[in-house]
Amino acid sequence: MSKPKPDYQVIGKPVPLVDAWSKVAGQAVYTDDIKLPGMLVGKILRSPHAHARIRGIDTAKAAALPGVRAIVIGKEATAKFGVLPISKDETAMAIDKAIYIGDNVAGVAADTEAIALEALKLMKVDWEVLPAILKPEDALKPTDDPIHEKTVRGTNIHKEVAQEFGDVGAALKTGKAVATGDFEFIGITHAFTEPMCTVALYEPDGRLTIWSAQQVPHYLHRALADVMEMPMHRIRVIRPFVGGAFGGKSDPFPHEMICALLSRKCGRPVKILFDREEVFLSNHGRHPTKTHMTLAADADGKLTALDLKAQIDGGAWGSFGVVTTYYNGVLSMGPYRFPTFRYQGRRLYTNKAPCGAMRGHGAVNSRFAMEVLVDELAEQLKTDPCDFRLKNLLTSNTTTVNGFRITSNGTKECIEKTRKASEWDKKRGKLPYGRGIGIACGFYISGSAHRIHRSELPQSTVHVKIDMDGGVTVHSMAAEIGQGSDTMLAQCVAEPMGVNLSRVRVYCQNSDMAPVDLGSYSSRVTFMAGNAAMKAGEAIRAKLVRAAAALTGKPEAGFICRDEQLVYALEPSVRVPYMDALTKALAGNGALIAKGVYTDAVIPQQDRKGSAAGLSPSYTFQAYVSEVTVDPDTGFITVDKVWAAHDCGRALNPLAVEGQIIGCIHMGLGQALQESFDYHRGHILNANLLDYRPISSKQMPPVEVFIVESDDPEGPFGAKEAGEGPLLPILPSVANAVYDAVGIRVRQLPMTPDRIFDLIQKQSGKSLRLPPKKPSGLQPAGSQ
Amino acid sequence: MILPEFELHRPRTLKEALAAARKHLDDFDYVSGGTDLLQNYKNRLNCRRHLISLSDLEDKGLREVSATRLGALATLMQIEESAAALSGVRGAAAVVASPLVRQTATLGGNLLVETRCFWFNQSEFWRNAKGGCLKEGREACLVVPQKEICYATYSGDMAGVLVPLGATVHLEGLEGGRDVPLGDFFQHDGIRKNVIRKGEIITHVTLPASAQKLKAGYRKLRIRDTFDYPSMGVGAALRLEKGKLAELHVCVNAVATTPLAFEDLTAACVGKPFGEPEIEALCDEVVARCQPYKNVALSPTYRRAMIGVFLKRLLIDLTA
Repeated sequence: MSKPKPDYQVIGKPVPLVDAWSKVAGQAVYTDDIKLPGMLVGKILRSPHAHARIRGIDTAKAAALPGVRAIVIGKEATAKFGVLPISKDETAMAIDKAIYIGDNVAGVAADTEAIALEALKLMKVDWEVLPAILKPEDALKPTDDPIHEKTVRGTNIHKEVAQEFGDVGAALKTGKAVATGDFEFIGITHAFTEPMCTVALYEPDGRLTIWSAQQVPHYLHRALADVMEMPMHRIRVIRPFVGGAFGGKSDPFPHEMICALLSRKCGRPVKILFDREEVFLSNHGRHPTKTHMTLAADADGKLTALDLKAQIDGGAWGSFGVVTTYYNGVLSMGPYRFPTFRYQGRRLYTNKAPCGAMRGHGAVNSRFAMEVLVDELAEQLKTDPCDFRLKNLLTSNTTTVNGFRITSNGTKECIEKTRKASEWDKKRGKLPYGRGIGIACGFYISGSAHRIHRSELPQSTVHVKIDMDGGVTVHSMAAEIGQGSDTMLAQCVAEPMGVNLSRVRVYCQNSDMAPVDLGSYSSRVTFMAGNAAMKAGEAIRAKLVRAAAALTGKPEAGFICRDEQLVYALEPSVRVPYMDALTKALAGNGALIAKGVYTDAVIPQQDRKGSAAGLSPSYTFQAYVSEVTVDPDTGFITVDKVWAAHDCGRALNPLAVEGQIIGCIHMGLGQALQESFDYHRGHILNANLLDYRPISSKQMPPVEVFIVESDDPEGPFGAKEAGEGPLLPILPSVANAVYDAVGIRVRQLPMTPDRIFDLIQKQSGKSLRLPPKKPSGLQPAGSQ
Repeated sequence: MILPEFELHRPRTLKEALAAARKHLDDFDYVSGGTDLLQNYKNRLNCRRHLISLSDLEDKGLREVSATRLGALATLMQIEESAAALSGVRGAAAVVASPLVRQTATLGGNLLVETRCFWFNQSEFWRNAKGGCLKEGREACLVVPQKEICYATYSGDMAGVLVPLGATVHLEGLEGGRDVPLGDFFQHDGIRKNVIRKGEIITHVTLPASAQKLKAGYRKLRIRDTFDYPSMGVGAALRLEKGKLAELHVCVNAVATTPLAFEDLTAACVGKPFGEPEIEALCDEVVARCQPYKNVALSPTYRRAMIGVFLKRLLIDLTA
């Protein structure tokens, strides 16, 4: 931070995303825009039961329907898959039993959607309805018929984690101040714009091509190979433009398998496009979670203990759940220093739509609990919440008690900037009743330090090719999902080469043409693919510099590349235009080709189970201040303004970083204020965007963004993630502001007006006006 | 979700529309904006094989907007933006759904909006999995278990202000035209909904000239400030004379199968001062008569409590 900012040419400049024009002009090709000759419509028969054995499926009538071209059922593809190799528990379709309402039972491909839907009605499933596990507490009990084969101790517990570092019990006993709370978070979902969509084409030569709205094309590639029982080299995965994902497209999905199976069966291309209800049934959103947390601090106002329990409701599949279970604990290890830490986490299988990864994966709910309790501790110790936080921050270049290596860390600057800009010291505790201000911090990973498939293969590889036209093409399978990764790759390649961004085109869609990248999840792409891109750009630069040295007779070491010139720094009048250097470099060689890779960082790891969970080559930090107005008579919360500071190491593209921060606030406010995945006995009650209620544009507060640049030692040009960490502080900063406004402590999300109204009523000792014992009789207008 | 198959009829006159209705009397729906109806069709809710579009009707007055007359085919945005319409009416139009919906949705459609219930407004897959309800032809209501009455919630906003303003609905039907006071238009049954007869079309709504002397308004409870149907709404129209209440009408919306009026309670307030204590007393009596059901967003207890809060705020504003 104290170092002068390097004088970059394209890095750090606010540039519109390279794919923006094609999107706003309506020319970007999304999966649903793909139309192939002879393409069929695929539809999925779904279970109406939360838990039911399949005694038999009669598809004869459906198969006889004119226009039906293929039908597939579960026993035709029995190989298991799942995004985590340690937790493969899915099959393409239910084989013996369906385990949630909406579970995939059969697939049909037909000439039209209407015929496919008619065919679904003609299929008859002989069901034996089984008792459903819907409450997480019921999943704890031993059972003879668990939802999956592999569970803990014959129950429906999917994963258990127990960790302790230092003597938490002793620290709690001797704490001067202790804050504790039971928190409850309802499940939420991503509500991305583009529904899931997949096109599959199995060709007569035994090759499969799949186009799919995906964040992790590589994991889809692996899962398809398993399920289709085909070698990976005969499968090509293409990721067209993706209309939003947020973690909701980061698993290989059953519908992708069904689509491929249908195409193989009838030899024609098949498209499956979900309707919105199917998107909700597929879910993979944030887990409903019960969190118990206790924090302790000593008389000096230093945190001494974090004791945390989380019970997370996983729904029907494993998905990323093992990771989620760890993250609910270990991602609480920053930005504050805890000398002791204990975590007990548990993820449960239930007969509900599967939960998975969602922006801020695993960290959001525990973060909420922590930031609310930190405020309570500060109050007990009669300390300002900002001062209390500042006093307890991890420093740069340190290690947490559970072994995380902290390198760059800009939390202090984040707090100071938002505190000043929001006029915190004039406002906190001093605004009139009904208005309040609150602060919260955040902490997140920049990718996982280790691959989920343990091997020495790189995490990211980027290829660059340049021919005589001077255009630079970048090839990678990093998944552009709207977050700006294509633009980031273009910048990271262009900067070392000293060429204009307009020369660069990014090709990131086709697994035959681009090298493996593990995909867009856990905020890994800027750090990892960005590093690979930078190295590829540097490798090209070396070739150009060699040519410039040959042309000028100057030593290679003296050249800098900038503004499409290779300049000999000691004698700036000696310079070679980029095209001249390129022509020289191509002579006798042909197109310039280079690659860059990012392999796992070497980070000392503790010798214990789960020590890799949450281990990241670098971490990001945030501090947000929110100001709110609470209407005490109705319970409505208006977020008036947010001051948001995020340490992203270096903003490669400040415009994109700002967009991510504002987008995170929008999404986080949804979970904070109103979104919930409502169930009635296993049926989702609000599987549509009207009743699910994402935040509307009218509810969005003005946001003042502060980008803090801590210059990470290992990130590309010093950069870290900016896509997920910025979601974390918004929820608790609003809750802490609500406390400042009306004096209620929130323990449950979302903070809907009825819940806040109820809390205010209870606090003031007034009871709700109770309904009369008998309805007073309805009186239609005019009937009196 | 795709729409079911239907035949679309596009008459140019009311006469043609009625003729089309007579021809397909047992299997048709009228459609104008379609913002409510077509979503229900996508969910396969009470679909008909014939849709008679009213969008092309050229008869005079169907889209007229003035202080005393509102054409049934006037869009809600047209009413919202009309300088001629009463401000209370414009205010209610402005809080229906979202701007995009208001550009298409019509006044007539809002008055006739399908009653809502979270057992009913679901997909075909959902209803089949769950078992279905009275309103879509199954055996019993799932809100109040019995087999006679559907308890789906009336969810139109415009009635919330038009009832207190004393509006009259004008209908054209197979047996000619008739006028019905809006206050008598609705029926306590989420299926029957209102007194409209098969084939009848609302042509327009009129307000008495005296309505122009009233101060009217509408307040809507919803989680988001846009898009959402009302979880509760209150409307009122009143006139003060020399510090005393000369006229008052109140309507509570979206807590029952119909808009609710309280003419006996409001009449009792007339001729007296109408300050905060009187307003609070009236609100308590109104709340005591309302019993929302658990079938739309937000809990019945909360919606009930909000009737008092919203009505008090509205009446204080209107008497200020």
